[in-house]
Amino acid sequence: MSEIERERRNLRAKPFSKADRRFYRTATWAANSSIVLVSLILIFLGIRSWPAFQSQGVGFVFGSSWNTSVEPIVMQIGPMLWGSIQISLLGLLIAVPMAISIAYFIVFMANKTIGRIVTTLVDLLAALPSIVLGLWGLLVFSPVAEGWATMLNQALGFIPIFASNSGNLLRSPFIASWVVAVMIVPIIASVTREIFSQLDRELINASLALGAGRWSTFRMVIMPTSFGGIIGGILLAMGRALGETVAIFFVLNLVFDYNWFQILDAKGGSVASMILAKFGEASPAEVSGLMAAGVVLFVVTLVVNSIASYIVAKAQPWRR
Amino acid sequence: MSSLIAEDVNVWFGQRHVLKDVNLDFPSNEVTALIGPSGCGKSTFIRTLNRMHELIPSAGLGGRVLLDGTDIYDAGVDPVDVRLRVGMVFQKPNPFPTMSIRENVLSGLKLSNRKVANAAELVETSLRRASIWNEVKDRLNDPALSLSGGQQQRLCIARSLAMDPEILLMDEPCSALDPGSTRRIEETILELSDDMTIIIVTHNMQQAQRVSTRTAFFLAEDGNPGQVVEFGMTDDVFNKPVDSRTNDYVNGHFG
Amino acid sequence: MSAAPVARPATAEPWKQISSTSRLRIALAILLPLALGVTAILLGLRFELALLFVFMPSQLIMGVIAGRGISGKRGQSDAILQVLVMFFGAAVFVLLISVVWSVIAQGWPAMSWQFFSQNNVYISSTTSLEYGGVGHAIIGTLLVVFLSTVVTVPLGVATAVYLTETRGKTRSVVRTLIQALSGLPSVVSGLFIYALFIASGITQYVGWAGSLALIPLMLPTVTRVAEESLILVPQELRNGALALGAPAWRAFAFVTLPAAKSGLLTAVLLGIARIIGETAPLLITTFAADSTNPNVFNGPIATLPTYLYQFAATGYETSIQRAWGAALVILLLVAVLFIAARVMTRTKSASKKGRK
Repeated sequence: MSEIERERRNLRAKPFSKADRRFYRTATWAANSSIVLVSLILIFLGIRSWPAFQSQGVGFVFGSSWNTSVEPIVMQIGPMLWGSIQISLLGLLIAVPMAISIAYFIVFMANKTIGRIVTTLVDLLAALPSIVLGLWGLLVFSPVAEGWATMLNQALGFIPIFASNSGNLLRSPFIASWVVAVMIVPIIASVTREIFSQLDRELINASLALGAGRWSTFRMVIMPTSFGGIIGGILLAMGRALGETVAIFFVLNLVFDYNWFQILDAKGGSVASMILAKFGEASPAEVSGLMAAGVVLFVVTLVVNSIASYIVAKAQPWRR
Repeated sequence: MSSLIAEDVNVWFGQRHVLKDVNLDFPSNEVTALIGPSGCGKSTFIRTLNRMHELIPSAGLGGRVLLDGTDIYDAGVDPVDVRLRVGMVFQKPNPFPTMSIRENVLSGLKLSNRKVANAAELVETSLRRASIWNEVKDRLNDPALSLSGGQQQRLCIARSLAMDPEILLMDEPCSALDPGSTRRIEETILELSDDMTIIIVTHNMQQAQRVSTRTAFFLAEDGNPGQVVEFGMTDDVFNKPVDSRTNDYVNGHFG
Repeated sequence: MSAAPVARPATAEPWKQISSTSRLRIALAILLPLALGVTAILLGLRFELALLFVFMPSQLIMGVIAGRGISGKRGQSDAILQVLVMFFGAAVFVLLISVVWSVIAQGWPAMSWQFFSQNNVYISSTTSLEYGGVGHAIIGTLLVVFLSTVVTVPLGVATAVYLTETRGKTRSVVRTLIQALSGLPSVVSGLFIYALFIASGITQYVGWAGSLALIPLMLPTVTRVAEESLILVPQELRNGALALGAPAWRAFAFVTLPAAKSGLLTAVLLGIARIIGETAPLLITTFAADSTNPNVFNGPIATLPTYLYQFAATGYETSIQRAWGAALVILLLVAVLFIAARVMTRTKSASKKGRK
């Protein structure tokens, strides 16, 4: 270490006056309360759900039976967990093309005024509470979608995913996925729109000027640069879809039996809806099981969200 | 009358040593220009003189900055007091967008919780000293952002003057302005120098010659920390420099 | 005197040029499939089938033909891209309009003075719509949401201040945890409060428990939007204030805060919009009530979402109309918030122009 280095003072902007110290202390206190709040939730959920994990073991996550009238009680959420994931994935399958199309339309096809109007409408869609979507799904959409399901089942029933063992096509994962899709379209659309509008317009015009068509520009210029960000947005939306409760509860038949792929069949699962459905007449032991189910769902959502924020941060270095 | 002396000032950003052994003495009521190519640390240096430097994370400092004999980095010194005595005008005009022209001039008082007996008079004298009074006297309640870039910069100067600082630091105050505004600001600087010490960082060598009595030439060579190569009367630095590098720079051979 | 503006040469952006024959081709490519589709429906084909199997294929084919005619081979793939974008985009709007229209059309018959003013006492699933309403639920929603807001907004904004205005060491931890909180399923939040306060016997179903359950859901939204609006305030303004000799808190209060005002108000409104329609956590904590309960600190309290839930679940016609009515009231509340947020963000640029 040189003579000069030894003289170095590391400077920090420190609050000097009493009022400034109070200002920083208040902000720090608030931030710490947030830390405490989150930790409290995690610890408490952990403690309360522990008995269920302990008594049920690994079967809690993968088993498919929930019976609280036997002794010892059996609580397994496998089909519900699979149902949540299945509905989210199907919802994404429906929502992603719509969302990317809307974003593409706003940024690359519409003029300024129309673009702004469409953006506002998409934001409006994002502001619709999920219970309103649930009511719509239950009373308006389900009958229509049942018709679609019947046609699919009749025309393509020989393909296993369009088959139905029960013959009942109302309250199926297919219908729930549509309702979830309506919910998450605006999330994906707004992330995608933001990414599209950050793209260098000159680059796109240059590509068009070179004689590349819109399609090859989309495929060769737009998609490669925005892919990561869009994937991040999609995972973010999946996080929301996994936690959706009432809207799915309104339109889905919850059955404790794995329905791996018959998406048109009225037999599905959703951890969040299951918690709502069972909560009413739950015994203390069962409440512990529901807590544990909530923890599992939270963990799955956390994993999806962390992957999302990692990808978004990598793909959008301009965001912090 | 206040004296400002930089003694063996060294500056680091993290592990990067950006300024080495700067020793400068700023005589009171004179204009000192700091010149040098980009990245030589002159802007960084000027920010150490009113403790704005410490707002950058991982900033480090060696040496002392003496204001009337007291090191402004002493533990017992409140940076707020230093900044009240050593004002600063930034490269980019930064009037407060939510305030009117009048409120901008008085913003320093509000921000430091001071009262003044005659606010209207202070507004007028400050704006006059920044030579912008005639342009804005009829629209003091207009938002500050309704002014042009050059006017905004003079408003920022007026804002600093309203606090009556003993020393005014100017970090390339004209680099974002048109020639007309630049000329007005240079006139303002010359007028102010009667009763205020001014230290101005500039890229423009003609400007340095027009406004300053003394000039310090900063240079950072090949990734070494920046240093003061030459410090003296402006005429000497430009016309008969001692160091050949100064000669090359003031004659436009690099930078 | 300025010279007359030079006209932009027509070739400046050749990819935007469209000749009149091309216009005709495009018009044909749009109208012909439309005509085919309408004919198919008139001939008795189901709407969805006509759309999917008559309109879409013919639209694609016509688009490809038109595209090829206009710009050769690349016109084909461009036409497919544009037709698909329009199709999927239109689908979103059909869904959006379907939702909004259903709520308005079905909820409208329930709208009347007593629907807003009366509560649900003595109302059964089959009681005529002339009696009873959501008055108690509106009051409940406002109270529960208000209580959450007064706790969450200061907490969230102060946390955002910590993240942007200080150099605290735990900033990344706080940011990560807040981010994690945004993944908390709402029903789990409700379950948490239920287990903590209700199952443990500390209290019965009560309004404040619902407010508490909403806090973890609202906090991430408020914090994130507030943080973003504070980040948008240029650093130069803060430096300008500090260089004038302002203590940090005064620089924040008189410069940063006014500059971020509209963004912070948006944060509050988006936070409220996030929780105003939450149902599951309230069902678990505030439960439902038929009578008007203006006290969030005592006894169950009805809210619009739980009211809607309660009536949607039954299946009698009047109940369902009540549910739609409640949905419309929620939609109106959301619309008010939404418009308020829009106006706030607009005035950000407007305030620069005219004050006083």
